[in-house]
Amino acid sequence: MIPNGSAFLRAGGLCLAFVIVQVSCISQINLLGGGANIVPLYVAAVALYAGSIPGAAAGFSAGLLLDLAVGGDVGASSLVLTAVGYGLGRYREVRDPAHSLAPLPVAAVATLAYALGFAAVSFMLSSEADVSALVLRDTVVTVILNCLIALPAFVLVRRVLRPVLVVDPLERRRRRRGPRPTGPIGLRGIGDPGTQL
Amino acid sequence: MYDKTVRRRRVALAVFIGLSLLLLTTFFGESGGGPLHAVQKGAQEALSPLEEGASRAGKPFSDLVGWTGDVLGAKGENEELEREVERQRKELARAQTDRNEAEQLRGIVGLNRQEGFPTSVEPLSARVIARSPTVWYSTIQINKGSGDGVEVDQPVIASGGLAGRVTSVTGGNARVTLITDATSAVSAQIMPEGATGVVKPEVGDPNDLLLDFVERRSSLKRNAIVVTSGFKSTRNLESLFPRGIPIGKVSRVDAGEIELYQRVHVKPFVDFKRMDIVQVLIPRSEGQRAELRGEASR
Repeated sequence: MIPNGSAFLRAGGLCLAFVIVQVSCISQINLLGGGANIVPLYVAAVALYAGSIPGAAAGFSAGLLLDLAVGGDVGASSLVLTAVGYGLGRYREVRDPAHSLAPLPVAAVATLAYALGFAAVSFMLSSEADVSALVLRDTVVTVILNCLIALPAFVLVRRVLRPVLVVDPLERRRRRRGPRPTGPIGLRGIGDPGTQL
Repeated sequence: MYDKTVRRRRVALAVFIGLSLLLLTTFFGESGGGPLHAVQKGAQEALSPLEEGASRAGKPFSDLVGWTGDVLGAKGENEELEREVERQRKELARAQTDRNEAEQLRGIVGLNRQEGFPTSVEPLSARVIARSPTVWYSTIQINKGSGDGVEVDQPVIASGGLAGRVTSVTGGNARVTLITDATSAVSAQIMPEGATGVVKPEVGDPNDLLLDFVERRSSLKRNAIVVTSGFKSTRNLESLFPRGIPIGKVSRVDAGEIELYQRVHVKPFVDFKRMDIVQVLIPRSEGQRAELRGEASR
């Protein structure tokens, strides 16, 4: 990501929008005994399209805003989401996933990592109440629902961040495709009988 | 060049992780009125108009999704509710008879000086504008604050019974910690047996509360109603919740062989995942109470 004012404005606006929509709308919707959580999706999308440092920064800021908005323990979500954003950013830098369905596993991993990480932090911060097995069901439902909404969420983040990304994800995907077959004199399309110029 | 990139990346990660740990440590180390808590309150105040707008804008969508889910489970629930209504009708008739008798008895022993739930508090309706996205914090934010008379520790009820208590207030909104939050504990009583205990949550399952510290010798029945006990000791120790607010009904009793107490599972009356409107119970002034008593006696 190109670190300029526009980038901060776009990433910050997206962060605020995702957190507000999460706490005001998405959290009110209960499906199959659980609910979606779009904040890890935002962090995962930034990490996937911009890399590890923007991913960690997005995780930290989204977590901080979330903790401030819902009155949670300030720093807990930041800690977990920073790690999630950094990890997924490193995955993008090392493996460079360019498949159009890459957001699905990335969203699933981000959601699961956030849920497990947050549970671990909550335990460490001494949760004195009993923990129901339904926490697992809630986690599974959240992962499934997040996978369902991952593609539009990633598309939204990509569209907003595209002007400030160093490498356009769509262009990257086009480059990853192999060259089209050429004809006998080196022109594409001539050698393929089913293709007309 | 490569080393520089790697170093920069690691420094960035260390800075963010360090900042998070610093925030956590400071937040836990300071008192409720510390700077981070103040920043949190300020942020909630600043974000509440956005949250309220988003909540209203997203209401039709969330209603539609909720309606779809409701329809799927409505058939089975309908039969159960019909039986429940029939039972409630019978209980209502019996309760009205009992109430008349109880009022006469109160007059005899002078218990009518004790202020009960309906007259000591005044409900203030509020709309839920935000809620926690994780099962670990069961908190909601409402659109009424200190400007409307809301104060910290006031009880909050929702459709069906007790929902929680106010834990933080700003001018225009307040945060309510639900009774399903890990930090919550409510003194309660099982009616009509009278056995008392403390209602605590089971994290992750808002449909199951645990009534702990109920003596083993108490014989409890399934579906018995659990209400707030509203104790008041001689040492000025007083429950935050007025006596008599319904919490839920007994769904199961676990009694370990070597334990002194029974663990009673309580199904709350409130549907914590579908709360849109709640009521904050604001204590009436002494003048209002006297006026109400006067009206009642007339």
